[in-house]
Amino acid sequence: MAPPISAAGTGDQKGGAVSPPDPWDPLIRISHWGIALAVLANGLINKPGGTVHVWVGWAVMALLITRLSWGFFGPAEARFSAFPPNPRAAWAHLASLLRGKPREHASHNPAGALMVYALWACLIAVSITGLVMTEGKSPVTIAEEKAAVAAGDWSVLVTADEAGDDDNHDSRGKLAKEVHEVAANLMLILALIHVGGVGVESMALRRNLVRPMIRGPQRTRKGSGA
Amino acid sequence: MIPRSRPKGRHHSAALAVFLLVQTSAAVFFVGDAASDMLSDPTAPHSVFEALVAFALILGILFGGWQLRQTLETLRAQERSLDAARGALAQVIAQQFQDWGLTPAERDVGLLALKGLDVAEIAQARSAAPGTVRAQLSKIYAKAGVSGRAQFAAWFVEDLLAEGTSSPA
Repeated sequence: MAPPISAAGTGDQKGGAVSPPDPWDPLIRISHWGIALAVLANGLINKPGGTVHVWVGWAVMALLITRLSWGFFGPAEARFSAFPPNPRAAWAHLASLLRGKPREHASHNPAGALMVYALWACLIAVSITGLVMTEGKSPVTIAEEKAAVAAGDWSVLVTADEAGDDDNHDSRGKLAKEVHEVAANLMLILALIHVGGVGVESMALRRNLVRPMIRGPQRTRKGSGA
Repeated sequence: MIPRSRPKGRHHSAALAVFLLVQTSAAVFFVGDAASDMLSDPTAPHSVFEALVAFALILGILFGGWQLRQTLETLRAQERSLDAARGALAQVIAQQFQDWGLTPAERDVGLLALKGLDVAEIAQARSAAPGTVRAQLSKIYAKAGVSGRAQFAAWFVEDLLAEGTSSPA
């Protein structure tokens, strides 16, 4: 009458397998989408060198600083120690992805982690070269100077010329501009690959990886019963 | 039967994160703007004032970050204990079903019934005829010695409320 049966068959939870948090913590989510929007805005829409461009750039710096600090002080899966850069593991992960059997990881998968570091490196390079190009002036100062020039006070331009007349300064500016553009374009390409990677991984894991980055699970009573 | 899975603290932590990011942005802009003042004349009253504000901002950020992490850890601990409680309850149910001598099919139906699905929904979930499900349910009630669905569910709730009430009504 009572054959030995393994524990309850239906409606079981997925079990305690390691998988990234669902959802990611709010700081990660907000900084992720904030940076994504800002990069798209500055890379594709805003006038390069314009006041808006600089404002957005500074906002990105703020988001980036917060996220990087979170990498030391945040919860376990947000910390750098949870996803150390490891190219060999990344290759292994990509290979397993090709075979259609990627493993779950508690934080970013090794390939995703490399992408995260690459994107951060680009962001840092773009931010620093951007600061060099604007001579470290805050967007407030730039806006004030522009307003002054528009009002007919050109003295700001004179001091800028005097500061820029040595060759050294000039070539540094050119180099900064070059690096700024290359890194920005590289970042846009990496972002495209990142989106593609998320798509492929989502299909392989049969799980929407974008959702934890937005709102997290929408479990319902009926959904977990069937 | 299933507790609501969206803890209240989620909104709280999201609000904290937004606040933290706004604060960091403010700090970065402010420090960036004040840096030239502070570097050129660090002891001028203006610079001292700016340094004080910057210090306060950064202190606020550190405090906010600490709060956020605390909240997230509490949330996670709650989710863990909730999962544990769910697991424990599932085990209690499985054990009891076995004691009642339910067949595998009856166990499935019983579990779905406990989760609050009605006959039509259970039939759909198991791709069975509603009549079959109804028959299985009455057999389950008979084996458990309960009068119907309400008493069947109450059996486990009663178990949760007071320990050791072994024999059902």
